[in-house]
Amino acid sequence: MNLSLIKVCATAIVLSFASFNAAAGDFSAAWDAADAKRKEAGKMGAEWRDTGKMLKQAKKAAEEGDEAKAMKLVAKALEQSEDAIAQYQREGNLWAARVPQ
Amino acid sequence: MKKLLLTVTAVAIGMTGVGLYASPETDQAAFVNYFTKKFPDTPKEDFVNGVYSIDAASREQWIEIEEFPPYELAIDAGEEEWNTAFANGKGYVDCFGEPGVRGNYPYWDESRKEVITLELAINECREANGEKPLKYKRGKIADISAYMAYASRGEPINVEIPNDEALAAYERGKEFYYRKRGQLNFSCFDCHGGGAGNLVRADKLSPAYGHTSHFPVYRSKWGGMGTLHRRFGGCNGQVRAKSFKAQGPEYRELEYFLTYMSNGLDYNGPGARK
Repeated sequence: MNLSLIKVCATAIVLSFASFNAAAGDFSAAWDAADAKRKEAGKMGAEWRDTGKMLKQAKKAAEEGDEAKAMKLVAKALEQSEDAIAQYQREGNLWAARVPQ
Repeated sequence: MKKLLLTVTAVAIGMTGVGLYASPETDQAAFVNYFTKKFPDTPKEDFVNGVYSIDAASREQWIEIEEFPPYELAIDAGEEEWNTAFANGKGYVDCFGEPGVRGNYPYWDESRKEVITLELAINECREANGEKPLKYKRGKIADISAYMAYASRGEPINVEIPNDEALAAYERGKEFYYRKRGQLNFSCFDCHGGGAGNLVRADKLSPAYGHTSHFPVYRSKWGGMGTLHRRFGGCNGQVRAKSFKAQGPEYRELEYFLTYMSNGLDYNGPGARK
């Protein structure tokens, strides 16, 4: 093996390692953001049933190396919490319209 | 000027929603009226029988089930537990006096500023006597509650709201009841008010009036006994909302509101349900 081939291989290894770390960092940041949003919904008493499970499943998928699945679950969990908060805000005084008169 | 003020106030109330500010008495009268109009063939006192008060076919099966009620074992177990002394020699009788006190709960505790339910009082009795508290959804607590409910059959439901702080707890329970929640976007009232009598798959939805009279219940779906807060949690889960902790403030205040809505009916627990 000549020197330039060794250099190319080493660069490839370094780059793939860096990209793996960046992806792990992206996942971790995305997961934290989704979990913070879930807690925000929870404080309002508005959290949905499956959001916490999705985040647990996302962590498991990330640990197993299935980054695509992990990120998809995080995105879904984030969307659920945003919808739960919107539902809570939308209900505002709207719930009172359901009280029999 | 006075007329103008009155008009402005009336418009303001109208804009913010009448349901927000009605008194509990007005709320209850409208609630009862809603269900008695929706189910004109159901005698008022029969609403304590839940879905069996509005569904003749399932009522027949239920009457047969009641000949050998599945909650009987729980009543017996509860009675035994009631008569078994704690390690310190005292027992439930020292806390409650007699088992037939279901009619005293839930109530607003002025010194603690919170709603006290029967199951909470049972556990507090245990803890005050050096015993471990029981889990709130099923098991031994449902047995003791079943025995006490059975001894209280025929007691009138008469929840009181003695002051503004109690009223605030009632209002929070009321808001919980009518707020849509969960991924399926349902309020309690969507199913058990507007939807009462409708089918969800093969089951008819029961009317809310009388809902808390018969707990704890033996549910065939559970294959055992469960408390009211177990049911609350199940309902929330069914609309894909995260359920709250049994005997947490949310469900105790919900119980306070919902039981107040059934004032004037009689306690008839424990019950048997599908």
